Amino acid sequence: MPWVEKYRPKKFEEIKGQDEAIFKIKEFLKNFGKKKIAIILYGPPGTGKTTLVHAAAKEIDSEIFELNASDLRNREKLKEILKPAVEQKSLSKEDKIILVDEVDGISESDWGGLTQLMEIIDSSSYPIMITANDIWDKKFSPLRKKCDLLPLNEISYDIIKSVILDISKKEGLSITDDLITELSIKAKGDLRAAINDLQTLSKLKDYFPIILDERNKETDIFNSLRKIFKEKPSNDMLGIFDSVNMSIDDIILWVEENIPSEYSGEELARAYDLLSKTDLFKGRIYKQQYWRFLVYENIFLSYGIASSKKKPKTGFTSYKRPSRILQIWLNNQKTFKKKSICEKYSKYVHISQRRAMADFPVIKQILKSNFGIQKELKLEDEEMEYLKL
Amino acid sequence: MSGIWTEKYRPSKFSDLVGQDNSVKRVEALTGSLNIPHMMFAGPAGTGKSTLALIIVKELYKENWKENYLELNASDERGINVIREKVKNFARTKSLGNIPFKIIFLDEADALTPEAQQALRRTMENYSTTCRFLLSCNYSSKIIDPIQSRCAMFRFKLLEKKDIEKVILKIAEMEKLTIKPDAIEMLYEGCEGDCRRCINILQSTASISPSINAELIATIISNTKPRDIKVVLDYALSGDFQKAKEKLLDIMLKESISGQDVIKAIQKEIWNLQIEPTIKVKLTEKTGETEFRIVEGSDPFIQLQALLASFVLAGLGKE
Repeated sequence: MPWVEKYRPKKFEEIKGQDEAIFKIKEFLKNFGKKKIAIILYGPPGTGKTTLVHAAAKEIDSEIFELNASDLRNREKLKEILKPAVEQKSLSKEDKIILVDEVDGISESDWGGLTQLMEIIDSSSYPIMITANDIWDKKFSPLRKKCDLLPLNEISYDIIKSVILDISKKEGLSITDDLITELSIKAKGDLRAAINDLQTLSKLKDYFPIILDERNKETDIFNSLRKIFKEKPSNDMLGIFDSVNMSIDDIILWVEENIPSEYSGEELARAYDLLSKTDLFKGRIYKQQYWRFLVYENIFLSYGIASSKKKPKTGFTSYKRPSRILQIWLNNQKTFKKKSICEKYSKYVHISQRRAMADFPVIKQILKSNFGIQKELKLEDEEMEYLKL
Repeated sequence: MSGIWTEKYRPSKFSDLVGQDNSVKRVEALTGSLNIPHMMFAGPAGTGKSTLALIIVKELYKENWKENYLELNASDERGINVIREKVKNFARTKSLGNIPFKIIFLDEADALTPEAQQALRRTMENYSTTCRFLLSCNYSSKIIDPIQSRCAMFRFKLLEKKDIEKVILKIAEMEKLTIKPDAIEMLYEGCEGDCRRCINILQSTASISPSINAELIATIISNTKPRDIKVVLDYALSGDFQKAKEKLLDIMLKESISGQDVIKAIQKEIWNLQIEPTIKVKLTEKTGETEFRIVEGSDPFIQLQALLASFVLAGLGKE
């Protein structure tokens, strides 16, 4: 189970560092029916928006009815789900809270969903809680007018650190204070990120601090990916990655990771074809030092990927961080012994390590039953152990 | 004497080298004159390039060869600067004995980027009075012209069946193995003209039993091939791209299999798939293009994923 779920606070008392927000939510619920019936919790990722909504439901002993952007789009489906939700009392509990999560995930093609949401707000007899990262886009202006606004601030470093310490104690990790400090600073107010990083670290030998790079870049990449994957290709996409504070090589990895979560079949094949061409031009730049090729890299990666779809996509997709590099790293840790054996072997027989790695199955078979050779290569005990596996 | 057969039976005289008569004769003559030029050995793996380099230095320096010989592997050394530094240190002292130069063998030189090769060319010039360079590569087309023009070129070809057979029989005699003709046939097919691979498979098999038959060889060989490529393709054809992608990454990482080996396996597997002939050909074309790109230095993961995506299409009956 992901630790962010395992350690998600259930009640208001357990939530740290959001006292003011909790107070305002309590007010909102108390005054429900008198004032506004919807509230928008907005703020950077990992500040506890969804957690607060769930805790609020617990507080007034009600159940949560969750809607996402794609439900909003689908009028029929919406009516079907919402009708009983808004009009009938739920069976087991007194009340309901309607949660509309990540409303800014509504893409251009989903704008109809926004109107729909407004209609719901007008007709609902239950409190509606909306979460968002950023609601200052002008398309949200009518929505803002209908709702209470509750800004959430980044979680302070002290609180992140205390939560991380607490979890690492409960999980029995022997992790150094320095590393916890570093991790808490790097999280930049994003508690979820900090907890995720902690869990990643816990899986590694020696808790080596890897790839804990800053996540503040990610909001930009998420928005850009959303545009590329969801919307019709348009010329303003050509420069979309300029504003993303990331190297184009990293962006390629992000696109690579997320193509399959948006596209399938022919769209998938087209998108990958263009991605592979992006990579081809990247190689050509590198080989020939001819930087104008960058133009093609950019076009394929933005407009090209966008043009791979037949029609605009709806719904909210949560994009994943590229995992390939991490997997390679993790795997390298695992194959460390194999590497060291190959290093010794390759020197000895005048071949490259790369080739020794490729031929390892045969080489292993030769080495494992022959102690003479193991001695000859001066293998360590651990390396001999590895051969037995 | 080494227990590793590729070392134990590595030829130590020009006349012991099999299959490369032309190149060997010319190199032998040059070595005999005690003044060799820079040389380049181009050809597939396991055909005797490193061995020839070792024979040359042993022939020239006799028992002092280790002091006068530096072996570097371009695909292992981290960057041209490391190589330059090592060359500098090595070339600083004068050679021992009556040969006025030392020898640097740079294996897998085609692993160097063109920029690194430019730097290498400068290094070759700077030390040309005190050092001779022997370069080896799989593809001479990946070596920049200025370097090629400074070297005498020697091409190595894949070993033929009669050469491989000679090697196998010699080892079998020395190691007291019994080996059947069909096992030799199987070994030859499995090693694809690569003598090192042939000997490795032979020793691997012999570690299980000294009486070697085709069946044993086949088992060992199948262990060395990327397994489960069919599973990857099946996932892709059934439309489950995500699973195909995960499995591919898994195979490549866990078994340290290169993109080129995966593509080889895919290319062969296409012919066992239940798909339309025209689609088979299209996929093969696409596979060839992918292999070309990987050989040229593209990112193998990205290129292979793009290839898998076209298998997804094929699964839908489209081209």
